[in-house]
Amino acid sequence: MSVPVIYSPQYQLYNFGPQHPFSPLRLEMLLDLLEHLGHPLQFVEPAQATREEVRSVHLESFVRRVEAAGRGEYSPDFDHYGLGTADTPIFPGMDEAARWLVGGTLTAARMVSSGAAREVLQLGGGLHHAQKDLASGFCVYNDLSVAIRHLTEQGLRVAYIDIDVHHGDGVQWIHYDEPHVLTFSIHESGRYLYPGTGHTHEIGKALGTGRKLNIPLEPFTEDDSYLEVLQMGLEPALHWFRPDVLVVQCGADAHFQDPLAEILLTTQAYAKIFPLLRQYAAAFAGGRAVYTLGGGYSLDATSRIWALLYLTLQGLPLPDHLPEPWLRRWGTQLGHFLTHTLFDPEGAYPEIPRKAEIERRNRQVTERMLESVRPYWS
Amino acid sequence: MLIKDVMHSPVLTVDVGVTLEAAYHIMLQRNIRHIPVTQEGRLVGMITDRDIRLATSPFAVGGAKPTDTPVGQVMAQPVITGDPLDPVEEAARVMRQRKIGALPILEGEALVGIVTGIDLLDALLRLTGVEKPSGRLEVCLDDRPGELARLSGELAQQHINIHSLLTYPCGEGTVTTVVRVGTLDTRRIARELRQKGFVVQWPPEIPSKRL
Repeated sequence: MSVPVIYSPQYQLYNFGPQHPFSPLRLEMLLDLLEHLGHPLQFVEPAQATREEVRSVHLESFVRRVEAAGRGEYSPDFDHYGLGTADTPIFPGMDEAARWLVGGTLTAARMVSSGAAREVLQLGGGLHHAQKDLASGFCVYNDLSVAIRHLTEQGLRVAYIDIDVHHGDGVQWIHYDEPHVLTFSIHESGRYLYPGTGHTHEIGKALGTGRKLNIPLEPFTEDDSYLEVLQMGLEPALHWFRPDVLVVQCGADAHFQDPLAEILLTTQAYAKIFPLLRQYAAAFAGGRAVYTLGGGYSLDATSRIWALLYLTLQGLPLPDHLPEPWLRRWGTQLGHFLTHTLFDPEGAYPEIPRKAEIERRNRQVTERMLESVRPYWS
Repeated sequence: MLIKDVMHSPVLTVDVGVTLEAAYHIMLQRNIRHIPVTQEGRLVGMITDRDIRLATSPFAVGGAKPTDTPVGQVMAQPVITGDPLDPVEEAARVMRQRKIGALPILEGEALVGIVTGIDLLDALLRLTGVEKPSGRLEVCLDDRPGELARLSGELAQQHINIHSLLTYPCGEGTVTTVVRVGTLDTRRIARELRQKGFVVQWPPEIPSKRL
């Protein structure tokens, strides 16, 4: 049985302008690639999230500012709400555009909570930096948290898994004291990278203590080490937490080509990560999972990784070479050659001299994280 | 950042006549380690949990004191104090040099606050700007007038908000500048700074990265 896909052409409205890395081109390239691979997208159109649904996690004062900004009004306190910054510039209709993405993730969550589907792929969203009163890091509204809030209101225990290269800070802080939400983020260390959080000592507070997990990775971490600590940290947590559903943010920016970060995953790693997460959904959450997109700023790598996600979820075979017409069309448009194969060629980046030390440190940090949360797992 | 911005106020105090046992219980209950000691409302000493444990221990020089000894007999004096208008680094320096864990803050004769090592760690966190979502840039600047202005001017031009900025000497004639900036795209900023001739130490340049 195929996995339902949520998508709306309205997602393309979430657009910060041609120079901005969070580009709707990523979706356009992905859809075009799937079509060229002989799998034209069959999708379910979501309902746009209402104001009230957005308000389930965001403050009234913040929503008002977003609405006003989207109408072209000006307020001197926009900066204070993270609006009109270099990362989250104001654009006309930003409230409506963001509500389409929230609506998509919420529709996916509703399909799972109602039993209409077990797994759903939302081809958009993943805006994990948005906080209850702050737009941040390209994210206006937090679609993930709105969906998680819906699921917990249905009495479900939610494990949120975030593989974006940046820490999933918005989701973590919004649910920081909630006992029925486990958040797990594996990301490049915040020592240097945005947003600067996601340390092992951030373990939740009050009833949520021990249920917020972070694995901050060393810059220049490669496939093997990533997969090792992902399993080492996530498996015991899911085993203990027994979620009813997984919400997975599938950011594609941990790839070595990504211009915004320093983790060095290849598409070969993603071809292992996605089936692994699916396996975890089956083993620990009755197979129920919502997958969303997220960050990913190399157009080349991102379209291949999300195609991989799509093909994996649909149980379709993975091609070796990518279709010539697609490569030609987008290579010409972007002005540079694209990788010709779904999988990255061997030796695509220089050897990392600190490899052994990086692996050791990642292992150690994961052990430290587990040590600090385990006392609360009783 | 001044001491008045980070100190705890009002301050819990004990009178010189209070017993060691009573003072120790107050510390346990309030989860604190230092209490200023007063006599007729004036600060006359400091007592710490360690002072009490040492005084009542069999290892104490001259033998263990009974637990009903008044704190006045054990407290440290004279007291090293600070002023609310001192900068936090002044408090840090005094506490470091004298190896003490807390500094009572006096305004004239009046005890108006207390600063502890923990408060200074909080101050450090605020100074580094990590409490807001931000990326981190490290730029090596020549140690001469106008360099910082050149850097901040460049960031301003790109509409990048600086959450915090720290500099420290890092070698002959240069300073390392750590800037927490309100953007996810620090690599682009680094690239543009490099093009303008800045020495950016982090994020590093990686040849394999492309858009």
